[in-house]
Amino acid sequence: MRRGFPWARHAVLIVVSAIMLLPFYWVFKTAITNENIYAFPPRLLPQDPHPYNFVDVWYLIPFPRYLLNSVIVSVMAVIGNVVLNAMAAYALTQNFRAKKLVVLLLLSCMLIPFQATIIPAYLITARIGLLNTYLGLALPLLSTIVCIFIYKAAFEAVPRSLVEAARMDGLSEWRIIAHVLLPLSRPAIATNVILAFIWSWNSFMWPLIVTRDANMQTLPLGLARFLSYMEDTTGALYAFVCMVLAPGILVFLMAQSAFIRGLTHGATKG
Amino acid sequence: MRLPRWMLSRWFIVPATLAAVVLGWNLHVAANATGEVRGRVVDATGRPVAGATVLLFERSFVVNTEKQRVVTDAAGAFRFQGNASHAVQLQADAPAGKSERVTLRLLFRAQDADLPAPLVIAR
Repeated sequence: MRRGFPWARHAVLIVVSAIMLLPFYWVFKTAITNENIYAFPPRLLPQDPHPYNFVDVWYLIPFPRYLLNSVIVSVMAVIGNVVLNAMAAYALTQNFRAKKLVVLLLLSCMLIPFQATIIPAYLITARIGLLNTYLGLALPLLSTIVCIFIYKAAFEAVPRSLVEAARMDGLSEWRIIAHVLLPLSRPAIATNVILAFIWSWNSFMWPLIVTRDANMQTLPLGLARFLSYMEDTTGALYAFVCMVLAPGILVFLMAQSAFIRGLTHGATKG
Repeated sequence: MRLPRWMLSRWFIVPATLAAVVLGWNLHVAANATGEVRGRVVDATGRPVAGATVLLFERSFVVNTEKQRVVTDAAGAFRFQGNASHAVQLQADAPAGKSERVTLRLLFRAQDADLPAPLVIAR
């Protein structure tokens, strides 16, 4: 089916990729050189690269603590999404009264911006005593509606007869999810992992509101704090940005093929 | 001998590689973090300056605070011990004059380091 000029297609893709990667390269180049980002003419290659900005970031603020907090919150969000969304999605694949209403309700909830729900979310979190805790930080991201629908599409692609056979063999609903549906929905799991990780890793507003103590802050809050401390920020700030971005990019690169399969799963169904 | 399949997965290889790098780096840090900073003081003609006082300033967010001072030996050499910082400034003070304040940036806290160029006393 593929016709035309593959080299032309590749050339276009390479140019587009280069344009999209240029900002990342520029951030990294500034992080290892301390160059003035407004210098004209701009230098494409780094002059006298050094790693000391990364060292400054590591020691001048409690970076390891922020990193640990971000990792804990992200891991909780990932586990929550993988488990809770699978349960919710399985329920949505079953036939029950008012199913359409529930789906409609979930879809309409996606239209409400998070900022609009911050006050009730804060009050609920405070009422159950989770302010300034890891669970409180992860709470709003423990289950996300988009990811529920990704699971739902994946579960619906599994032949119904397979689930019925498992049920006839005596498997409970929990075990059908764990031993039949989830192993056949790896792309959906990967998509849940990546989205939950990136959303919780980059979350700024909610941790800003929920944390009271500097020791509970996550990396995006640390970045804001770092900005307020340092006057000559260019190199160190960009080094901080690289250090915050790296884990998310790494997780994405590791799971990108499954992630793309998970997002497109069900999109081509008749 | 064939490796188990899970060991060939990128979900094992990448974290394991990172863990190995972190472990290696920490071993290197542990072996080279006694906080010794060495250097020399010379005059404008390049001759060693004995008896010069060398000051070590530790860098924080906005200020450099003096932490230690030592006196150079007959060869103009000095040695600080127990430096706990990752970025220090050094300055020599002799009867003949002072040197410029030189910044020494390190890869980790308390790294053992030699000043790449001697402190030069200027009149």
